[in-house]
Amino acid sequence: MKKFVILAAMVGLTASWWVMAAPPKGDPEKGKQIASQVCLACHGVDGNGTEPTNPEFPKLAGKQPEYLLKQLKDFRSGKRKNEIMAGMVANLTPDDMANLALYYAGQKAKPGVVKNPALVAQGKKIYMDGNPDAGVPACAGCHEVDALGYGFFPHLAGQHTEYTLLQLKRFNTGERDNDKGLAMQSVTAKMTEQEMRAVAEYLAGVQLK
Amino acid sequence: MKKLSFLALALTLALAIPVLAGAPQQPKAPGIESKDYVWNEPAGEKAEILKLKGDAERGRNAYRVCQGCHKPNGAGLSDGTYPQLAGQHATVLIKQMADVRDGRRENPKMFPFAGKHIIDMQEIADVAIYLQNMKIPHDNGKGPGTSLDRGKALYKNDCQVCHGENGEGNEKKFYPVLAGQHYKYMLRQIMNIRDGKRGNANPKMVKVVQNYADPDMEAVVDYMSRLSMPERSAAKR
Repeated sequence: MKKFVILAAMVGLTASWWVMAAPPKGDPEKGKQIASQVCLACHGVDGNGTEPTNPEFPKLAGKQPEYLLKQLKDFRSGKRKNEIMAGMVANLTPDDMANLALYYAGQKAKPGVVKNPALVAQGKKIYMDGNPDAGVPACAGCHEVDALGYGFFPHLAGQHTEYTLLQLKRFNTGERDNDKGLAMQSVTAKMTEQEMRAVAEYLAGVQLK
Repeated sequence: MKKLSFLALALTLALAIPVLAGAPQQPKAPGIESKDYVWNEPAGEKAEILKLKGDAERGRNAYRVCQGCHKPNGAGLSDGTYPQLAGQHATVLIKQMADVRDGRRENPKMFPFAGKHIIDMQEIADVAIYLQNMKIPHDNGKGPGTSLDRGKALYKNDCQVCHGENGEGNEKKFYPVLAGQHYKYMLRQIMNIRDGKRGNANPKMVKVVQNYADPDMEAVVDYMSRLSMPERSAAKR
């Protein structure tokens, strides 16, 4: 019985993830050293990425430290499947990961580039209001109206269009399934690819304060 | 024997955690269409959640996953796609959430964002009290206003005894607040209740509305959409 109570408590705790969004502790300066040696080629030392030619390379600057740390841990454990990143994080200690997360979180995000301005209005509408007919919730509900994110809900403003689009597609197919509570898989299951692209375009152009 | 039951328990728990990719599918608990249906049976997850003490501050955070549809102020959409939730009784919110989770109230749109995989029992208690404390907005969707006298007469005769003169419902009896609710949302629900499409309907209410023709439905719901519950409403601008 006692064991059951403990187990039940554990199951309960895993569900309450966004309530306990405590930022990690560490030393961003140490994180900068790793960034300058390991991460810079794809993400840039300032976390604004290199030229957005490869949709696999996201901007990291200004994202929440708790989000970045979770992704690093998930790449390491295989919960988020990505061969390149698995290799990159293989030699990082838990402290390294916390330091890196804090470093990139502290960098200033630069605005992105909109490739297809014709889609921005539609993307904004979905981001702000969702699609009630299909049951798509507004992205702003979790990621905030300014797209600056909150806790484990990542900052999305200014992200490369192709990266955002690729992640939405992967959530949709289940290829990416490290979203807690299956939230993003549930959202993307109700979206068309055209809607995903529109949202991604809108986010690339969100003005950063 | 003890080991065996433990194993069974572990297995049940493991199965309760969804591992499949994609949007989770709503289960189906027997509802009003089944012979043994008991409305608001004090059992299951609902009974457990009702024992928990909700915390509105925590609820503000847990509500994030709801506000993409129901909006930060709880108002939903005035076209009735999503109901208004601000100022609703916590008991009602808990019952409805539990019914959606069990599949007694069918709602495939909401289930992926309301199931056990995404929100736990304590969070439901927290969200419920957070919403109950919120002020009811005045700009809810209203009806055409063409048969309000007829609507009022029907309301006084058939609805008021449970839902109250001002649409304040009854917290202890799990009867919802109607004041401030969107016309089109209530119309859809009352028709579903009449037509046996709302699985967790109260048979007492089905009896009341089963002979209502559509124009009477529209008249009474129009009247309901104009009720106001001052103690839970936002200050008039």
